[in-house]
This record gives sequence, structure tokens and C-alpha cells, in this order.
Amino acid sequence: MATRIDTLEPIPAPERPPQRRLSPREWARENLFGSWLDTVLTVVFGLVVAWLVYRLGKFVFVDARWEIIERNITNLMVSRFPRDELWRVWAALLVLGPSLGFGAGSAAAARRREAEEGRAAVVPERASALRRLGPLLLLVGVLLWFAQSFQATLLTLAVGVLGVAGYLLGRRVALSGRRTALVVLLGIAAAYVVVTGFGGVGWEDWGGFMLTILLAVGGILLAFPFGVLLALGRRSSLPVVRAVCVAYIELFRGVPLIAVLFMGAFMIGFLLPAGVERPSLVTRALIALVLFTAAYVAEIVRGGLQGVPAGQVEAAQALGLSHFRITTRIVLPQALRTVIPGLVGQFISLFKDTSLVAIIGLTELLNVSRNITAQPDFIAQGLIVETLLFAAFVYWTGAYWMSRESQRLERRLGLGER
Amino acid sequence: MLRFVGQAVFLAAVLGVLLYLLDNVVYNLERLGIPTGFDYLDQSAGFAIPDSDFRSSQSLLDALLVGVQNTVKVSLIGIVLATVLGVVIGVARLSTNWLVRRAAAAYVELFRNVPVLIIIIFFWLGIFLRLPPITRATEILDLVVLSNRGLVIPWFEKEGSGAAFGLVALAGLVLAVVVWVWRTRRFDRTGQPHHRFLWAGGVLVAMLAVGFFATGRPWVITTPERGELATAGGFRLAPEYAALLLGLTIYTASHIAEIVRGSILAVSRGQSEAANAVGLSDFQRLRFVVLPQAFRISIPPVANQYLNLVKNSSLGVAVSYYEVTKITQVSISQRAPAVQAILVLMGIYLVFSLSIAAVTNLINRRLTLKGR
Amino acid sequence: MRISKVWLLAGALLAVLVLAAGCSLGDDDDNGNGEAAGDTGQAEAGGGGGGGNLLAEVQDRGTLRCGVNDAVPGFGFQDEAGEFQGFDIDFCRAVAAAVLGDPEAVEFRPLTAEQRFTALQGREVDVLIRNTTWTSSRDGTEGARFLYTTFYDGQGMMVREDSGYESLEDMDGETICVLSGTTTELNLESRMQALGVNYEPLAFEDNEPLQEAFVQERCGAWTSDKSQLAGVRSNFPEDQGGPESLVILDETMSKEPLGPVVRDGDDTWADAVNWAVIATVQAEEFGITSENIDEQLESEDPEIQRFLGQPVEGEPFDSGLGLPADFAVQVIRAVGNYGEIYDRNVGEGSALELPRDFNALWTDGGLHQAPPYR
Repeated sequence: MATRIDTLEPIPAPERPPQRRLSPREWARENLFGSWLDTVLTVVFGLVVAWLVYRLGKFVFVDARWEIIERNITNLMVSRFPRDELWRVWAALLVLGPSLGFGAGSAAAARRREAEEGRAAVVPERASALRRLGPLLLLVGVLLWFAQSFQATLLTLAVGVLGVAGYLLGRRVALSGRRTALVVLLGIAAAYVVVTGFGGVGWEDWGGFMLTILLAVGGILLAFPFGVLLALGRRSSLPVVRAVCVAYIELFRGVPLIAVLFMGAFMIGFLLPAGVERPSLVTRALIALVLFTAAYVAEIVRGGLQGVPAGQVEAAQALGLSHFRITTRIVLPQALRTVIPGLVGQFISLFKDTSLVAIIGLTELLNVSRNITAQPDFIAQGLIVETLLFAAFVYWTGAYWMSRESQRLERRLGLGER
Repeated sequence: MLRFVGQAVFLAAVLGVLLYLLDNVVYNLERLGIPTGFDYLDQSAGFAIPDSDFRSSQSLLDALLVGVQNTVKVSLIGIVLATVLGVVIGVARLSTNWLVRRAAAAYVELFRNVPVLIIIIFFWLGIFLRLPPITRATEILDLVVLSNRGLVIPWFEKEGSGAAFGLVALAGLVLAVVVWVWRTRRFDRTGQPHHRFLWAGGVLVAMLAVGFFATGRPWVITTPERGELATAGGFRLAPEYAALLLGLTIYTASHIAEIVRGSILAVSRGQSEAANAVGLSDFQRLRFVVLPQAFRISIPPVANQYLNLVKNSSLGVAVSYYEVTKITQVSISQRAPAVQAILVLMGIYLVFSLSIAAVTNLINRRLTLKGR
Repeated sequence: MRISKVWLLAGALLAVLVLAAGCSLGDDDDNGNGEAAGDTGQAEAGGGGGGGNLLAEVQDRGTLRCGVNDAVPGFGFQDEAGEFQGFDIDFCRAVAAAVLGDPEAVEFRPLTAEQRFTALQGREVDVLIRNTTWTSSRDGTEGARFLYTTFYDGQGMMVREDSGYESLEDMDGETICVLSGTTTELNLESRMQALGVNYEPLAFEDNEPLQEAFVQERCGAWTSDKSQLAGVRSNFPEDQGGPESLVILDETMSKEPLGPVVRDGDDTWADAVNWAVIATVQAEEFGITSENIDEQLESEDPEIQRFLGQPVEGEPFDSGLGLPADFAVQVIRAVGNYGEIYDRNVGEGSALELPRDFNALWTDGGLHQAPPYR
């Protein structure tokens, strides 16, 4: 893909020995039956893998009774969200699609520009777009297959088309990194307002996968500024500030998330003065997730701060910049760029960890998939394996896709720095 | 001066907020007639805890202690198993065998990207509950009984006094340490192979064997006997415990494997090539050259995974394994004051975390001090 | 220069987000603040009786917040459309119909067993209708007030038919499934202690894992409210042996009166909820159903006229409960009488197929008797 833009001579890669095309037989001898031990390993692993694949395949395609998922697909996606307001969710997706697409396109263009200007190495694009989006497309495909709704398919296609259009526009317009981030954030905010604003549905009535996403995205966005402050505080020269920040970070990193969620569920109400309306359980869970995540974000950002060479700060001091300006103009911009992969990693764990709010009784994806087995038509039939497998699949595709993208990003940034 | 005032103001603000919250809590508790102290820990629990000698008339504090024991029980064994599995898979990811490499990669990608809570619940529901019921339990050679009420294996049972044997065992342990140190010193002095593990182990086993017969066989091995409802004798691994343990192990191993792989790759290639040149076998190269160096690189991130495992053991609530979080949850629903119960819970985990951090730091410091 | 602008914008964006979050909760906040002073005053009154203002607050707000269960078959669960359904849910709707004239004006708040009383105390819910057993200590120390018992239940024990168990004493060494965080768990423990029977508890927060454990014979017995057990039994899959393969032991281990719960210290609100619930029973006594309500409005019987808020001798009867005169009509139109609610959710017309037993009217030998409406 990227070979089209060879305006700058790429740094020559170390000479590799010429690749000989192996015949399947040679390939197998080299990779599977190299030695006596290898042969044993291949046979044993082959049998185990084949058995596992057979069992799983047989269950998924033959034995499993997927009717419960088919009939509850809307429930799994949005749970209590009022059905006559569902158009808002679609409208939000129609807003989100192009803005995320635009962000991706703009970021891709920025990388290309950097490569052209010689500020970063050209990284040959190995995977096609289809392959990169593979897990996500698989997820959407499976969801639509369960939904079996013409309308939903059409709307999803529209979201996809708008997303691609946004991507192409983004590549053409090619904004700077910060402006790109701003567009994406605006898109998210607009989508949120579409759902909640103008007589919409507040998040206490959200549920299912939608709630999972709210908690993950809301959690990371709100934890980010808090985490940056904590990280700066931890590196402050003022001992008291440092001690307070260290205490906070170590406290929240030292206890399990479920304990923090219990705190949100049971304790926050007691912390408020009498007479103040207690926030809803969703809000309290979000507060708990933010408090918890901020401590981890702080440690990630601290790593980035430590990576900024001391010379940068000294040079800025020599220029007579104030402490505040040095932090906001010199240190943070450099640090935050390097911590993006770490933050994506944290977002992935948060995405998976939102499943824990099921324990305090919020109806997010995992809890819905447990609760639907209590419906009169499905009671006492042991369908919980099917519903759990479905939930695991949704989490897996999401997390796997993001982790792959974050690895690519890491490679890019790593190469860009050298 | 400004620095001082600024810090004082900051401290006052933080303390002020904390005091304000504390004041609210106390006021709210009193307003609702909920006790404010920690006396509730002395109340009798009222609920039963499976797989323990705990009686429902004992206090909530005792219940919490049982919970702490159970947390330790699942965490320690989980850490050992996850380390072994993680190292195996991490090495397998770098295997020259295509199938092994791919299978290990698939394992890592599969389990790393699914919430550990789902893995644990799935192990319980999808695997352990689906074992044969007790009436149709699988028995292997009359030694092992496997059913969905647990895996039962032969185990020791106390018979007669264990005190004398305990003394002999302790003496054996001390002697083994002495032998270990002696072999190590000798190795340092002469450079001859120390075989300290064999030596020390041999001494310990010999002492235990002598002690066992000398003190009149204080332990007998009981094999499980299957009854209608449960098994008698032997040691039972409850399905809930097994599900939590396996879930934690498999999830954590997928993370440890990645760390191990990264650490091995970080050991410079020249080291491996040099080892090959000296004529070490593949195993020797891994054992004596690559792994020791990779080990040092991987200590901090692996320690972090251990910490995560301990914290994730709190998900025992989802499969009703009575670790400390589950006990807290049950006691809250049986009218223990929620605020205090959660504070106690967080305190317990902080102690766990800080002790793991302390041990890691100690090991880390020792290894770096050697300055190899 | 550019950098700081961008950061400013990002900050503004965040502020907008937070504001939007605030707005979505706006209605609640306004009430909260507006009533703050009153709340404190009332809260401080504690268990001392005294007047409250929740009735006015709910009518102001326009919606009723009802703490419910979302995974108990027949009593409270979410159907495929995400709607709450069930016996308890219908009583939430009945209260909303009586107080607000609109059975749909309910915000359902699903609560776990541990959370229900803190949620009630913390004013998260106006009323708790969630299979909650009336006990003295809950009445005393949880700051709760229990109202008319809507369902008389008892703790039972379900076993497999082929196990041969006939009483609790037979179950020495058995593993017993039980819902944790409930009175059931404590009852089981004290009962077995008293009988000197050893057992192994397997306790879960939710019904689904218990059900799975029981089906797979992880536990040989399952103790719970008899209504729950009957629900599971009647739906037990045929490939597992069907309903006939399960037996619910005759022994009733405890009394489990279940009903709505409100906070202590607000009698007006308690009365309003109570009479909205009682109206369904009274309607059944009178033979008024959601179908014949229009005919009944024409009834000549002064008792019925009074009950339905029709003018008797010129004036509609006002009992001073703070409810509209025709609240009973609203309730019956919305959810029907007690018998209808019962049949639809847990009785003959439902998947649970529970007989009325104790829950029949007193005239049929049951325990339900509405206090006179006059």
C-alpha cells in the first residue's frame, strides 16, 4: 500500500538472505518435523488442537441453541433502553461512524506526511484494510446475523459507508494530531447528546453493550485529565503534593476493582451530605471506574514524563519559561505522544473490566446475558453457556481488534522515535 | 516560603475534603441508626462457609480470617501454576515448530482478550459443572474420584501426635538450609558443580522419612471413598475453587507468556549464538544462558501480574468461592455496616499488595546489586 | 499559542460533556435541591413517625422509582423487549397508577440483594417491591417499613424424585443450593444446626447459576421460596426428566411474607402505597376486574361506589389518603385486581402455574383480606 509514496529513499533494511520458496513438503519438514522431538510435538499438539476445534465447532454450529440470542439481540445491545427511542442510538452511530472514520483517515495522512518529510521511517503496510478491520467486521456480521433485520442491516451499511467517506475525507484534509483528536471527541460528544439531549434517555436507563461502551469510553475520557494531574503531582518537587498523589495512586492500584465498585455501590451515598440526591447506580459505577482508572493512567503518564529528556526542560528553563509553561508546552506534549499505546492498553483492560459492574447489579452485556436465561421461554434449559459464549465473543472481538491496532501503533511510534 | 505556604494550603484542602467526607459518613450512619464503629466484627456471622471448620455462631472477624486464608490459598497456588504455564507458553511462542508456535499464539490472543470474569464463570458453568454427578463419578484406580462435586485425591491424615514429627521436620529443614549454604560456598570457592538442590532435597527427604518412622507414623494416607452424596477421605478440590484457580491461572499465564517472550527476545542474539558456538545443547542454552538473563528483565512486570492475580482472586464472588471479598459481600447483605466492611476489605488488599511489592523490591534490589 | 487554544477547547468540551451528563440528570437534581431542606428535616425525624413529603415529591416528579428484581421468573424480570414484567412489577405499576394516574410512569431500578436496603435508605427508590421478606430486624434496624403482604410464601426444599428424600433429616452430607444474602440462607443454617444435620451450602447471589448447579446435580437439593421452586419445577426441561422428576418437600422451613417496603418515618407515603396495593385485593373481593370495570362504575352498590370514588349522595368519598378519589379505578384499569395479577404472572395463566393456596381471598380460605374501605 505505502509503496506508492517512495519520494524519500527509505532507510535500507539489513540485507536478508534470499528467500527460497519452499515446496509444501520442504516447508513441513522444516517447520513441523525438523527433529524427533518436533515430530512428537507436532503430532500431540495437532491432535489436541484438532480435538478442541472440533468440540468448539460442533458446539457452535450444531449443538448450540442460539434462539435465545436471536430473540434477545436488542436486549443484549441496549437492555432497558426504551424501544421507541432506539432511533437515537442509530442516529448516534451515524454521527460516530464518520467522525471516527475521519479521525482514522486524518491520522493515516499525518503518518504519511511525517514519512514524506523524513521525520519517520516508512513502515510498509502489510495488512489490507479488510484484514485490519477483520475482527470488527466479524462482530458486526454476527450481530446482524442474529438480528435478522433488514432495517438494521441497511442502517449498519449506512454507518459503514459514512465511516469510509469520513476516512477518505480525513486523508484529504489531514488535520494535525490535536485537531484530529478534537474532531473525534466532538463526534463522541455529539453522539452522546443525540442520545441523551432533547428529551432523550439519560444513562441510568442505558444497558447492554451500549452501557459497556459508555462505561469504558466515559471512564477513560474522564480518568485521563485526572490521571495527568496525578502523574504531574507525583513528579512534583513539593513533598506534600507528591506524598498525597503517591498515596492516592498506590491506594487505588493496591485494591481490586471490585472493591472499588463496592465502594461506589455502597459508600458514595454515605459520603454525600444528607439531603443531596444520591447519584444513580450507573453514575456511581462510573465514578468508581474513573477513580480506579485514573491511578493507572497516572502511572502510564508518569512513564511518558520520565521519557522526556532532561535537556528539554533545562533548555526551556534557560529560555526563561515559567514552570507552568514548561509543563504544558514542552513536557506534556512530548510525554503524551509516547503514552498513547499505554493508554490504548488501559482502555482495553477497562473495556474488559466493565464486565465487573455485573456483580453490583448493573445490566451491562454480561449481566444481560445471564439474566435472559430467566425468561419464561428459556428458564431451566442450561442456555447460560450459549449466552456466556456470545458475551465472550463480543468482548473478544473488540479487545482483540483494539490490541492489534495498538501493537501497530506501538511499532509505528517506536520506529518514529529512533 | 511560598513553597511552604502552598503546600500547607494544599494539605489543608486535602485534609479538609477528607474530614468533610468522614463527617458526612458519620452523620449519615448515625442518622440512619447504623453503628459507626467496628464492633460489628464481633457479631456472630449466621452464615456457613463451605469447606471450612467455620461455624455460623463464630464472629464475622473469624469469617474474614477464613476468607483471607482462602484468598491466600488460591493466590499462592495460582501464582505458581500461572508462572509455570506462562513460561512454557512464552517459550513455545518462540518454538521452531510452526504448529506449537501458532497454538501458543492462539492461546495468548484468545485468553488475553476476554474478561477474566467471563473465563472464571465459564470454567465453572461450562466445564466443572458438566463433570459427571457424584453418583456416576469417574474413579481412577480407586485413587482419584472426579465428579462435579470436586476432584478428590489421596491425602495425608493425621493419626496420633504430630508435634514430635513437626520438630524433626523443622530440624530437617534447618539442616537442609545448612547443606545448601555449604554447597554454595564450596561452589564459590572451588567452582565444582554444587548440585545444591539435590543435596538439600535429599537431606530433607531423608530426615522426613526417618522422622516419620521414628515418631510412630503420625500420618497415614487416605484414599477417597465415594459415597452416595460425597466422598469420604482424601483431599477435595471443590469445583468453585478449581474454576477460580484455573481461570486465574489461564488468564494470568497468557499475560506472563507475553512478558517471557519479550524478555527472551530482549536477551541479545549474540548470547545465544555464543552459547551455540561453545557447543551447549538447545536445552542448556535456554537453561543457563537465555532464561537467567530473561528472568532478571521480567521480574518487575511479572511481579505486577502476580499482584493482578491476587486482586483478581476477588472475582471468587462470581463462582461463590469464599475468599475475602465474597465473605464481605455476604456479610454486607446479612446486615454488617457496608461502609466499614468495605474499608476493612480495602485494608486487607492493601496489606497483600504492599507485601508483594516489598518482596519484589527486595528481590529486585538483590539482583541488581550483584551488578553482573 | 495554538497549543493552549486546543487545550482550552478540549477543556471546554469536557465541561460540555459533564454538563450534558448533569442535564440528563437535571430533573432529579432540581427536585433534590428544591427539597433539600425538607429532606433533612424529615430524615432527622428518623423512625419517629412524623409527616413526610414523598407523596408530594413523587407527584411533582411525575415518576415513581421502584426498586425491583430483574431476574426472578414470574416476579420480576426483563422480557425480550427490555420491559420489566412480573408480579412485583405489576404492583409498582399499581402504585404509579394510584399516585400518578399513569401505570407507565415508573422508573424501575433493579437492585441486588445486598443493595436493596441501602438503596431504600439512600432515597434511590421510593418503594421497594423485590421479594423482600418482612422480618423484625429488617423492620427495626434497616429503617424500613413493611406494608401489606402481597405474597405469602414459605421456604421449601426441592429435591430429585429419585433421591428418596422425604424430610430434612434424610439429607445428612448433602450439598444444598441456596440464594445468598437472603433470609433463606440464614434459615437453612439455623434449621440444619437445630436438626444436627451436616450439609454443604452452595450459595449464589442469583438464581441462574443455582439452577444450573441443580440441573447438573452439583447440589442434590435446592432451598428457596416455594414459589420460586415451583416455577423452576414446572418448567423443568423434559430432557432432564420433566416436572415429575422433582419433588418439593412438604416441610415449610419458614414463613416468608413478601410485600412492598418503604422508608420509616413517612406515614402519608406509606399509606398511599399501602392502599394502592390493597385496592387490588378489595377489587377482587368485589368481583371488579379490568374487564368489567366500566360496568361496575354504574353499580348501584354504595360500597362499590365508594370504593371506585363515584359520588355517593353527591360527594365522592374521600378517605384522606392524599390519593385521587378514583385511584382504585386507575389501579384496576392498569393492572386488574389481585386475582388477575396473580394469574397473569404466577398463577394458572403463567409459566409458573402456582395454586392460590394461602394467597387466596379469606373468603376462599386464604389469607388475603382487605381492610374495609370506608
